[in-house]
Amino acid sequence: MLEIRNLVFGYDRQNPVLKGVDLELEEGKVGILMGRNGAGKTTLFKIITGVLKPDAGKILFDGRDLLQMSRRERAGIVAYVPQQIDFGALTVYQTVLAGRVSYYNIRPSKADLEVVENVLAEMDLQDVSCRNVQELSGGERQKVAIARALAQQPRVLVFDEPTGNLDIANELLIINEAKKIAHKRGITVFSSIHDLNQAMYFGDRFFFMKDGRIRCSGGPEVFEENIVRDIYGVFAKIVENDGEKFIHYYKGDKQ
Amino acid sequence: MAFVCLFVGSSHMSVSECLRALAGKSTAANNRIIWNIRIPRVLAALIAGAGLSVSGLIMQTNLNNAMASPSTLGVSNAAVFGANLSIIVFAGGFLDTMNIQATFDTGFNPFSTSLMAFVFSVASILLILGLCRVRSFSPNIVVLAGIAMGSVWTAATTILQFYATDVGLSAAVIWTFGDLGRATYRTDLIMSVTVGVGILTFLFLSRRYDALLSGDAVAISVGVNVRVLRFVSLLLSSMITAVCVSFLGIIGFVGIICPHIVKKIMGQEHLWSITSSALAGSLLLLLSDTLSRSMGNGSALPVGAITSLLGAPFFIAIIFGKGGRH
Repeated sequence: MLEIRNLVFGYDRQNPVLKGVDLELEEGKVGILMGRNGAGKTTLFKIITGVLKPDAGKILFDGRDLLQMSRRERAGIVAYVPQQIDFGALTVYQTVLAGRVSYYNIRPSKADLEVVENVLAEMDLQDVSCRNVQELSGGERQKVAIARALAQQPRVLVFDEPTGNLDIANELLIINEAKKIAHKRGITVFSSIHDLNQAMYFGDRFFFMKDGRIRCSGGPEVFEENIVRDIYGVFAKIVENDGEKFIHYYKGDKQ
Repeated sequence: MAFVCLFVGSSHMSVSECLRALAGKSTAANNRIIWNIRIPRVLAALIAGAGLSVSGLIMQTNLNNAMASPSTLGVSNAAVFGANLSIIVFAGGFLDTMNIQATFDTGFNPFSTSLMAFVFSVASILLILGLCRVRSFSPNIVVLAGIAMGSVWTAATTILQFYATDVGLSAAVIWTFGDLGRATYRTDLIMSVTVGVGILTFLFLSRRYDALLSGDAVAISVGVNVRVLRFVSLLLSSMITAVCVSFLGIIGFVGIICPHIVKKIMGQEHLWSITSSALAGSLLLLLSDTLSRSMGNGSALPVGAITSLLGAPFFIAIIFGKGGRH
């Protein structure tokens, strides 16, 4: 269980970005974080992954505070797939191996290499393992980023806008991979997504963020027209088709 | 290659004479040329070439900037100021292969200029790293602070040179031309210790550099202490540059061009690119120095100019050739 308790952070202490974030996400579930640009989603992810230090609050995983752990210990629990992916001129294999860097210094052990081989096989990247990552398509690069994160053998996988730069086919590919990771391997996936329909398809638990706090959270039932209006300031109509919910957006004057 | 380069020089010794001198069985003059001039010089090319090239590679990785070089922290500019201060104000001496009268008539310790250059280089490094510590060694801040500090040293050098005598100015300008002829066994030893410690440390950290290629956030999330990594890397690579520049003068381009050539051909996995950059740097500087000695009609041409003339066309060919597609 990932628990965040009263998390406060500000780049400038007078104007905190996060004003007391509280949330809980069960093991093996996909949690989706939503909100307008600047709501604090990326900042929250950077704190969970150790890039930023909060001013106050706790991040607990199975009762242990991530903020009290060493970098290496934390790297074995939380892995990060950023929005902007840049790898340098490494091969796919070398990139995925970089995910194991907290486990060895210069020479990876047999166990490290085995983990990398397994992850490459699981993500269907064996055929391109010797290719330069810069030569791959956007979808393949995203898969390499996920593979590198999985090589850390994490318990929590944090995605920042995983489908931001992808076409529809690759969006689905990445979302399905992430769902598979969560449901088959029992890894908790925590992701931000802007497209609410995509979010409903992807997630198990949903968190709407506004003004540095979680405004509301829950299962698919949390998607309501008034909540969309409150969070984004746009009018929306929620329709059901074959038991699935869809959201249509309207301009204010048509409502 | 290094062995072959021992046979080239302005004294026009034949290969057999060189071999006899190597065994200590030639004339006293020839023995001295080989053992006291050519061997220290070839060793200096191997050590400084490797050091400057690896230093450039580490700067480029840590600052995420293809234009980063061993002198990004303003090290070379600070060394030039230190050397100018020594030569112009304190009439300090320095070793030189061109027999400039001004440099030998002073009667001062020939290493005083190197010492001053080194002191100012280290001061510049510590000042910039101290300032950048406030901003967690953010790459852009380090690069901008380096440019700013470099321009301060250049401005101070210009003012010094404005008040210099003709002889002092000429000697100061000559110092800035890279010259491997200034190397002695003692300077080679100091350079090899600094370069050796640096390269071994960089090799030990090589896997962390691979992670850093994906950006600070990813590197931190896989367990790398980016702040400490960047501090250690910038400090060591700048120290290597400071030592090499202080003893040999400015040797441009090796630190920018060699890492790029290696990355284009071998990829960026640092365990191999550090090793290959060291070899490429040694090779380029050795070839350049050998050419500079054989083209100078009795005196060596500035080796920094030859490294650029030799390396740049090769580099352009790689960028626009087949290797550039990677």
